[in-house]
Amino acid sequence: MIVVTGASQGLGRAVCDRLISKGISVIGLARNIDGVSFPTMTCDVSSYDDVKRVVQRLKTEGIQVKGLINAAGIASMNLAVTTPSNVSQNIIHTNLLGTIYCCQQIAPIMLRNKAGSIINFSTIAVALGLKGESIYAASKAGVEGFTRSFAREMADFNVNVNCIAPGPIQTNLLKGITSSQINKIVSQQIIPRQFTPDAVSDLVEILLDRRSRCLSGQVFHVGGV
Amino acid sequence: MSTANNAKREVHDAIKASLKDKSQSVTDDTPLIGGEGLLDSMTLVELCLALEDKAAEIGFEFDWTSDAAMSRSRSMFRTAGSLATEFINQMETKK
Repeated sequence: MIVVTGASQGLGRAVCDRLISKGISVIGLARNIDGVSFPTMTCDVSSYDDVKRVVQRLKTEGIQVKGLINAAGIASMNLAVTTPSNVSQNIIHTNLLGTIYCCQQIAPIMLRNKAGSIINFSTIAVALGLKGESIYAASKAGVEGFTRSFAREMADFNVNVNCIAPGPIQTNLLKGITSSQINKIVSQQIIPRQFTPDAVSDLVEILLDRRSRCLSGQVFHVGGV
Repeated sequence: MSTANNAKREVHDAIKASLKDKSQSVTDDTPLIGGEGLLDSMTLVELCLALEDKAAEIGFEFDWTSDAAMSRSRSMFRTAGSLATEFINQMETKK
């Protein structure tokens, strides 16, 4: 069973759809699961207690978690000096603490099996230092740092931890960003092309596959930087 | 022997089972982590998973990841005695 956070929309939803299409069992976690047809549980990843409640349920139901994909995330494209403190806190809570809470509490299920793959999500904005994304990039830089250290902690248990850092993928997260802004970012990638959620799902599949067992603690930039 | 004593023995046995050197004696004062500690990080996690199983046999859930356990955990993993105390506390409050 693969647990995917942020499963109701965006990359999380695309990843769920892909895995299900390949016959892989998925449980999607999201704050709002209306209109989602695959197995889900409501969960606000920014709440430690809410994640704990979900993990208790996974344990009670004896679900063997083989993978965790932390795709839940929020963004706010603003200059740091014009970002309200509550927005900054929401971004950090959801993107960084949400990832940490899920890893902390779901990883022990994988430790027991001495196998598993955890995929966290960062952004190309960390490597490129994009203007107007400083709070968002800060939260994701935290995710990258966490991923590297956590990968070492999990290595003895054959649990691999990696990070995917997409560029501007065509999802709702880009709502409100003009095509010229997107093109400007894309032009800084090694492959100057806007990728679709399919490309990210391909990478997720690769990282969940046993054949990628030699990869851990890495950040994979979609499009390259 | 009281239930608490049985539980304490279970914790000590689990600690012993997790050690490479099985002849090592375990008392309440035996340090688990830190400079003099017997356990490396991997063994510590394996011990926690073993205690989860023991707790399930007894009929409660041993929670080694909660905020409450962790905030007490400055001492919880310090010695065999402090770990046994936490295990018994959880057993008595949850069972």
